[in-house]
Amino acid sequence: MRRRIYLIVLAALLVVTLGVAGCTPKPAQENTAGPASAEVVKVGWIGSLTGDQAVWGQCELNTVKMMFEEINAKGGLLGKQVEVIGYDTRGDAAEAVNAVKRLTSQDKVAAIIGPNASGQAIAISSVLEEMKVPDIATVATNPKVTVVDGNVKPFNFRVCFIDPYQGAVAAGYAVDVLNLKKAAILYDVADDYSQGLTEFFEKTFVEKGGEIVAKEAFKSGDVDFRPQLSKIKEANPEIIFMPYFFKEVALSANQARELGINAVLMGGDGWPSDVLIEMAKDAIEGSYIVNHLDFNDPEVQGFKDAYKAKYGLAVELNGYMAYDAVKLLEAAVNKANSVDPITIKDALETSSVKGITGQITISKDTHNPEGKDAAIIKMVNGEYVFQQKYSTK
Amino acid sequence: MTAFMQQIINGLSIGSVYALMAVGYSLVYSIMNFSNFAHGGVIMMGAYIGFFLLTAFKLPFLIAFGLAGVGTGVLALVIERIAYSPLRKRNAPFLYFIISAMGASIFLENIVVATIGPTFKTYPRIFSPEPIAVGNLSIGRLDLIMCVISTISLAALIYVIEKTKVGTAIRATAYSVRASALMGVNTDQIIMIVFGLGGLLGGIAGVLFGMKYTVYPQIGFITMKSFIAAVFGGLGSLPGAVIGSILLGIIETLTSGYISSQYRDLIAFALLIFILIVRPIGLMGKTTEDKA
Repeated sequence: MRRRIYLIVLAALLVVTLGVAGCTPKPAQENTAGPASAEVVKVGWIGSLTGDQAVWGQCELNTVKMMFEEINAKGGLLGKQVEVIGYDTRGDAAEAVNAVKRLTSQDKVAAIIGPNASGQAIAISSVLEEMKVPDIATVATNPKVTVVDGNVKPFNFRVCFIDPYQGAVAAGYAVDVLNLKKAAILYDVADDYSQGLTEFFEKTFVEKGGEIVAKEAFKSGDVDFRPQLSKIKEANPEIIFMPYFFKEVALSANQARELGINAVLMGGDGWPSDVLIEMAKDAIEGSYIVNHLDFNDPEVQGFKDAYKAKYGLAVELNGYMAYDAVKLLEAAVNKANSVDPITIKDALETSSVKGITGQITISKDTHNPEGKDAAIIKMVNGEYVFQQKYSTK
Repeated sequence: MTAFMQQIINGLSIGSVYALMAVGYSLVYSIMNFSNFAHGGVIMMGAYIGFFLLTAFKLPFLIAFGLAGVGTGVLALVIERIAYSPLRKRNAPFLYFIISAMGASIFLENIVVATIGPTFKTYPRIFSPEPIAVGNLSIGRLDLIMCVISTISLAALIYVIEKTKVGTAIRATAYSVRASALMGVNTDQIIMIVFGLGGLLGGIAGVLFGMKYTVYPQIGFITMKSFIAAVFGGLGSLPGAVIGSILLGIIETLTSGYISSQYRDLIAFALLIFILIVRPIGLMGKTTEDKA
């Protein structure tokens, strides 16, 4: 008898644990327009709501919800109310594929916004092509998100510039404007994004007459970078390029200063975050960031304030990109005059819209926004201070 | 030479964190002969308890530190009562203990994800980040403090085990649970004490880890390395766990410093496997003599 009770308790415990762990991606948040309106068009969103990048994912989903609420209040897309369905990818490519399968086969969405990470955006292409639903990635900057071996992927689009561009801008700015000729690179060997930036930073930096004096790797999940940094210190660089995300940036920047490294630090769009300033304000003082936009640009203040008023939080970079993804989708739907996924996809290929991060003109050949300027930001007293718009062209 | 010394210092600092975590594994193994994977979860909870005591209750550092240790000690006891004690009473095979331990570990991780949230938290800055410069070497203040706290904790633990009556009972139980019980040792109580001690050290390790890096629900994965260090040093041997951990820290830093940072884990762990093939009981593991 005792044994049986024990087994029942154990089984109950397992069920509870399963519930807590949540094995299947549940709709994270839904924004139903109300059953009253007969015609509803569904728009999917995917991204990380758990893990290191949850801060960003949540901000994207909030933005997408907020934008469509506004669009719905104005009568919706082509007179149809929009329902946003968001799924958590847990920062995992396999989860992203599952989420897209569910959005396309069960929920039958017209288009998908997100994810922010390149690894996930690359993984979902085959499902998108099979189900014929277009996707607009937000901050997925790896070239392979839209183009592989010179062939454009028909259903993948994005609103951000790509890694080669970001890495090249960083290298160009370091050599030509800052006049720093000796660079070290610390990068995440397990991450496509980090490798992409590294490759093109190195290429441009050397082309411009600079020298890479050290190139060290770590693996996502590492928390101690001192062995690599000690080696970088020996090489005595003038600038250290850190193309990875804010958590590792904060830890490695702090550890670099602890080891007495005084070189200028530089990074890409993985940096901007309030958490970074909270964790490493002093260590990143005087660093440079290549970013998609200037946070203090008067044109972005309206959205920034509206978001803050609604959610009580500051907008992360991803919010601005999600804003532009929604704008681009809205423009494409209006242009196509249809909510059919394939027609939207065709319209996206020639869409151009004035986004919050600049003019977004999609190129038919690459599905990337062409000719977007990057914003160079400097950290001064814990604030992001805009330096200049910069492009390597 | 300076670079080499700096790498050794880095290695010692990383190794001392592994050591505090590894002794928890070793202690439990010495008595119960199974690997308590829930220890990673206990360490993670210690980091969170310390974090909330410091931020939400604004307690002074030492008090928060002590309370975190007490909290995880109690948590380890609760896990023992719920997850292991029933198995122990029915002489379940050791595999079941390991499964139960993994379950407890996953449970703790997910309860933190579900209640506190999945994103990482940062400890408030307690010590100045300015390093102490010795010649061309720089030593972090926090590293020094961690080293001191680790040494004091480990010395106190060794004192308890070697010099006190309870310690004698622990050593006797480690040698043979059945024989000690026959000699009048309350082995059930001894097991509780061992879990409590392991939990206490785990809490201290968790707070130190959180202060040095950050707090997040997956800290348990890092503790896998300290578990490996404990096996490498010889599971069941406390000095072995400490030496294994410090060696692992130094091997890791030297590999990334002089061979390749990209292949650090590959080379470091290939070396460990090699050592275990040559010496399966680990550096200081003892199979028949007393193990604590």
